[in-house]
Amino acid sequence: MEQWDVIVIGAGVVGSAVARELARYQLRVAVLEKELDVACGNSSRNTGMLHAGFTYKPGTLKAECAVEGNKEFDQVAAELGVPFKRTGKLVVGFTDHDMENILKFKAIGEQNGVEGMRIIDKAEIESIEPHAGGEFAMYVPSSGILDPMAYTIALADNAAQNGVKFFFDRKVTAIERYIANNCYLVYTSQQTFRTKWVINCAGAYASQISEMLGYPNYPVRGFKGEYFVLDKKAGQFLKIPVYPAPNDRGGFSTHATPTVDGNILVGPDSYVTEDWEDYKCTKDHLDGLIRDGSKMFKQMRREYFIRNFAGIRWKRVDEEGNVLDFKLESDQQHNPNTVNLVGIESPGVTCALPLARRAVARLVEVEKPSVNEHFNPHRPAPKRFYDMTHEEQAAAIAEDPEYGEIVCRCETVTRAEIRRAINNPLGVHTVTGIKNRTRATMGRCQGGYCETRITEMIEEELGIKPTDVRYNHAGSYMFTGPVRSGKTDDSASEGSVSA
Amino acid sequence: MLREFTCIMCPQGCDISVELEGKTIKGISGNKCPKGEAYVTQEIENPMRNIATSVLVDGGDLPLASVRLSGVIPKDRIFDVMAEIRKVEVPAPVHEGDVVIADVLGLGVDVIVTKDVEAA
Amino acid sequence: MKHVDAIIVGGGPAGLAAAIELRRKGIDDILILEREKKPGGILRQCIHDGFGLTRFGETLSGPEYAARFVREAESLEIPCLTDTTVLEITPDRHVFASSSEHGMMEFEAGAIILAMGCRERTRGAISIPGTRPAGVYTAGVAQAYINLKNKMVGRRVIILGSGDIGMIMARRMTLEGAEVLGVFEVQPYASGLPRNVEQCLNDYNIPLSLSHTVTDIRGTDRLESVVISEVDDHMQPIPGTEKEYECDTLVLSVGLIPENELTWMAGAEKDPGTSGPAVDENYQTTVPGIFAAGNVLHVHDLVDFVSLEAEALADSAARFITQGSLPESKLAVRGGELVGGLTPSRISGESDVTVSFRVRRPLRDCTVEIRQGETVLKRRKMAKALPAEMIQIKLAADKLNTTDDLEVTVSC
Repeated sequence: MEQWDVIVIGAGVVGSAVARELARYQLRVAVLEKELDVACGNSSRNTGMLHAGFTYKPGTLKAECAVEGNKEFDQVAAELGVPFKRTGKLVVGFTDHDMENILKFKAIGEQNGVEGMRIIDKAEIESIEPHAGGEFAMYVPSSGILDPMAYTIALADNAAQNGVKFFFDRKVTAIERYIANNCYLVYTSQQTFRTKWVINCAGAYASQISEMLGYPNYPVRGFKGEYFVLDKKAGQFLKIPVYPAPNDRGGFSTHATPTVDGNILVGPDSYVTEDWEDYKCTKDHLDGLIRDGSKMFKQMRREYFIRNFAGIRWKRVDEEGNVLDFKLESDQQHNPNTVNLVGIESPGVTCALPLARRAVARLVEVEKPSVNEHFNPHRPAPKRFYDMTHEEQAAAIAEDPEYGEIVCRCETVTRAEIRRAINNPLGVHTVTGIKNRTRATMGRCQGGYCETRITEMIEEELGIKPTDVRYNHAGSYMFTGPVRSGKTDDSASEGSVSA
Repeated sequence: MLREFTCIMCPQGCDISVELEGKTIKGISGNKCPKGEAYVTQEIENPMRNIATSVLVDGGDLPLASVRLSGVIPKDRIFDVMAEIRKVEVPAPVHEGDVVIADVLGLGVDVIVTKDVEAA
Repeated sequence: MKHVDAIIVGGGPAGLAAAIELRRKGIDDILILEREKKPGGILRQCIHDGFGLTRFGETLSGPEYAARFVREAESLEIPCLTDTTVLEITPDRHVFASSSEHGMMEFEAGAIILAMGCRERTRGAISIPGTRPAGVYTAGVAQAYINLKNKMVGRRVIILGSGDIGMIMARRMTLEGAEVLGVFEVQPYASGLPRNVEQCLNDYNIPLSLSHTVTDIRGTDRLESVVISEVDDHMQPIPGTEKEYECDTLVLSVGLIPENELTWMAGAEKDPGTSGPAVDENYQTTVPGIFAAGNVLHVHDLVDFVSLEAEALADSAARFITQGSLPESKLAVRGGELVGGLTPSRISGESDVTVSFRVRRPLRDCTVEIRQGETVLKRRKMAKALPAEMIQIKLAADKLNTTDDLEVTVSC
């Protein structure tokens, strides 16, 4: 049986951040993830905002962590090699009521410690972003954009490089506490792990794990939102996120946000869902996004549509349905050697490292582990071929000729980069895993040119059969077999021809 | 009896109307060229088709060589011929025009390679 | 940096035909840049027959059609760098390309011929609702896996869109033992050629349902089912008509888009009607010395016309290379409301023009008329006109004037 000091349940952005912070100590740490890659749930299914923290109630963990996470992110991004732009944000308004709400949240932001917010007039909006609407706006200089998938991968990579082990396709099915041995047995779909500590970072499923650990099964409610991803050609029209004035509860309706890669995200809308993984997009809501998105972003044209996705914010709620703060707790008396994180949703990406530090502090206080002298907070992130000058490209090809072969045309991803992605530190081998590490297949042709090459490279590099290639999930096979095999192909049934 | 056909002899795809008595054509209209009449006549008598598919290549720079038939076969024999083609595995190299099955099932046509596959 | 008289971007049917014709016109210094391992383009995976009837007077498979041009280019010793991707084209005709073998290359070209072809419209582009399981393929990707890579993509198949490749893949997958449950088309008519409805669908008892579309995709890991709905006259799904089909594969054949990223990088203007570059009767884009022909310009239904168009382009490109410029094209070419995908965008009125377009919906007993001012240059009666078929009409220079715009109308 696998023996560990700490088991982290869930490899979303919070679980990966916790893993990375645990790696600063001499601990044997394993992360258990039910999917085949990190950030398959809501960690990657969001707008990718580094939030400033002006909409969260002062004194809450949300507000505290958001402001802390925002302030440190330049350094975090540099350490982990994560593309990040501190773009600022425009919160635009049209009416007196908009102005009231904007001022209300400006005051809240100031109380939370958000710096530099100011009200600007139409002329200044114009000078910051000519494509933004609005009669006036609040300019929030500290807001930024990042790729939450890339950030989670970077956290997890850095954890793995510092000795943390990731186990994918391991859904936790039960947890048993053995008092005599001072340990927990964590049962999964594949094997059982024995550990001293358990940290619950299970995201959407955190309440279920919470119950397994002896904490309450906290009620949560899922607020789902759908998105459009627009072509980089649309990206030229928007350099800064433009949000409408918040509603009375601090929520934002559909908005347009540039991504670090130059695309535009339009969304999310918001509606309640009951299904834990209801990531499907629906015609009604996509139609609604086209309608509402066009108001915020005038270049919302069909020719720019690349794809859609959906995410769910699982918010902790009280009996009346009021949204509650993030829950971070430990209870040495009743559930010793556990840390429980429940209801972590937006701004979870911004808060991931501050939450991780607080979670790890609970363990450190009890366990007093030795510091890992070899911990390296820096994750090597070679410059993308796409971002290189022609001179740098020439040098890269001279160094490694595989840089000369462009596998993904739309995003200019080379064979060298795909090969490196297949050999990622986490051992992720899905097609979407390669996509998320390189951007291959993410462009306008959506893999029309490169997918056949990428699947072939996965097979060659790992020595696996085509039928063993997975698209994203464990059962997401891409091929049913060869068209022609050496022996008679029994699987091909007889067809019929009309008379 | 009036029967409608879409001619497949060329991309024009003429809509051809035929007045039939049994299998005898009494009148024909809509075809822009004589190929249309020949097609319809054959179609009434015994529809014939060509097929295109692939054979497995051993040791080639591609796993498959595309093939077609040197001429048409009765439509109802298509899947019989497919079953024969499925059994074939040829060593690389193969070249355009190579016959991989001669006189397949005695139908008087050959299965021929349509793409060069060189030895890897 | 190396100077080359003519750089051809893409070694598919358009690029090869242009190269061969340029050489025949006396341009010796030619270079084809091709991103694949071998020239031939998409034809290498189009193993079905039906190519070449117009160009060669016989019916060939795609690989055979391509091989004729490849062999010809080889016998003329036209250099072709394969495994080479063009990264950038500048308005002053510098071409940056990379390959593993030759590294980063920069060329200065006398003329550039854009022959990049087209790509397929994807699920995201048409925003099909539902989950994102494996098993959703565009027709061309399915074709590449099946015909080039020896990988079968599925066993129980629904096809959305009645484009020619979709229908051809319906037949192809049936021949390989898959069960194709049906082809569904959102328009009230098939978007591919009638002969393909006949020989790819009817021959194999594959039902074609017009005015239907996919309204839901289900399954988390692999595709489990799709929901099909009937659509109304505005192509909106009609509630209550939903029908669920269990399947493991959805093949999309929902349109082709000219692949023009490099064209825009070079600063060429777009023709809103074709989504391809605006060109004149010489196939010259708005950037002098940069030409475009084939599917990069507008999507053709037959490769024969791609070859013929590229050969016509070569004629003007050769003149540009030897003379340094071509007559300025100031006259606009405008289409009526039933006219779509019209090229060229403008003409000089001084040389022959081939006008290409498609009707916007199926028509019977219609009249095509091409006018310059009050003068009717051409009037053609057509018993049947389909959007699937590109209409091409040649106008001789001696009939054209150099003052009036060209108007193309179709009336019923």
